[in-house]
Amino acid sequence: MNLNLAAFERFAVRFQKGDIIFVEYEPGDSFYLIQSGRVQISKIMGNIEKTLDILYPGEIFGEMAILEEAPRSANAIALDNVKALEFNRANFEILMRGNPAIALKLLKLFTKRIYDQRRRFMILTLDDIQARVMDVFLMLAETDTGGQQEGEKREFKTTIDDIAHWAGLPTEKCREIINHFMNQRRIEVLPDRIIVKNLNEFARFVNSRRKNLAT
Amino acid sequence: MAPKAMTFKANSVIYFKGDISDKIYILKSGKVSMNSEDIETGQEVRDLIQTGEFFGVKSALGKYPREESAVVLSDAEVIQFTVPEFEQFVAQNTRVIMKMLKVFSNQLRRIHARVSSLLVTEEKTDPESGLFGIGQYYLNKKMYAQALYVFRRYLTYYPSGKFAREAANNIAIAEQYAQKYGQGKGPEIGSAAPLPEKHSVGPTPAATRAELSDVAKVYYNGVSLFGQNKFQEALEEFKKVAEQKEDEEYSAKALFEIGRCLFQLKQYDGAIRQFSGLIQKYPKLPDLPEALYYIGQCYEQKGEADRALGFYKKIIAMTTEADPVQRKVKKALRALEEKSK
Repeated sequence: MNLNLAAFERFAVRFQKGDIIFVEYEPGDSFYLIQSGRVQISKIMGNIEKTLDILYPGEIFGEMAILEEAPRSANAIALDNVKALEFNRANFEILMRGNPAIALKLLKLFTKRIYDQRRRFMILTLDDIQARVMDVFLMLAETDTGGQQEGEKREFKTTIDDIAHWAGLPTEKCREIINHFMNQRRIEVLPDRIIVKNLNEFARFVNSRRKNLAT
Repeated sequence: MAPKAMTFKANSVIYFKGDISDKIYILKSGKVSMNSEDIETGQEVRDLIQTGEFFGVKSALGKYPREESAVVLSDAEVIQFTVPEFEQFVAQNTRVIMKMLKVFSNQLRRIHARVSSLLVTEEKTDPESGLFGIGQYYLNKKMYAQALYVFRRYLTYYPSGKFAREAANNIAIAEQYAQKYGQGKGPEIGSAAPLPEKHSVGPTPAATRAELSDVAKVYYNGVSLFGQNKFQEALEEFKKVAEQKEDEEYSAKALFEIGRCLFQLKQYDGAIRQFSGLIQKYPKLPDLPEALYYIGQCYEQKGEADRALGFYKKIIAMTTEADPVQRKVKKALRALEEKSK
């Protein structure tokens, strides 16, 4: 990617390893393009801080601020000494005009965000909460970019807390459903992963519960 | 390869919902409808493509299944791009990308709103409580640096918010614990964390939990301003507290804070006078080493390294190794040695 960023040095900001760049709920009016170092994106859920992503140089974060001054939806923390370019809506257009590569990158990022949100929405519209939990596994399988896993039995590096989050269910309720699946031997829960014995069966069940979506 | 001009007859389909393809189209003439089902109601939605408009962009760029079928209503001319061709094309037309970014950001905002409307089970947290909660999380995890960041931000955004007093109090706790025990260490902090004993000149836990006196409110407002690096304004508040006579606990604490403000404002002579006066008034001040440290720092800033050295040595003599002040002083001493080399 051919980035012409020398002219943007005046937007450079630096963070020390461990520094918080922003936290969830802060009003956000700027977004960042990482130039060096890594940034951890995390969210505090209950009593744990969960890492959602680790971003590398060339990646963008905080981009939702371009849309509106909505509160930040996650924490961003410098994992190394980080240098980043900081932009706001005022200088955003200048950046984009001079750097179509960044604009394109942002376009792709939005594409992914929209897709992810749509997929999440599909899960939440299921009234049957068992189907919801199953659909979370289907979604995880779709977004699993590793791609080595084929066939009916699938392993997921995930936790019940995660599943509950995606399914929009209280953790306890989600645990109940998963225990029920375990008793039926449809699922196996290990400390670091969850194994689904037959993903196709989950897919059939979920499809049968999707309302109004005629084939 | 170059973008390809194509024609489609009425009632034909350019692509079907569910297809996976890397082709992007722009409509030159004719009528094309995007047919999809609403993801919530399942109702059919039809959107006409405008002449000159791109379609199939998101699914092609993201390699996702098409979300809609592109149905030709009347004979249409389109230009078909592969993803690399599209990228090359828009790279020279940043305005096109900007326009798309706006469309996409709108879609994203809408879908976001729809998702949150369904998340009834997740507790809706207002940003103010949410931000404060994150600070509490870090404080409980003894991540003082992070807690300080969050509480200071809280006070910046919500200077007179519903948790402002607690935030200011927590800043004091985090600062003291960070200094006394270090990041990641220290006693458990309950919801009503008492201040460390060492800082008995500070407000007692009972005082902070009960309804605050007017003096305390002014004091904490000062702490809050200091946390926001508004040292001049903080100074004014602390001066008010120091001048009042009804609560000596706070006035002693405020005298110390005035010194810190002056130091931050680079008024080193004033800061030295302030701390010296404080030490004379309260010879048994628990924060004595800290006050001496500030005096040393002031002299250092004034370029009087010898005098600074004298104060640092005094502190070393009166503290133990476990004392965080001693660690700070040793660091300052090393820095001085480096300079004199």
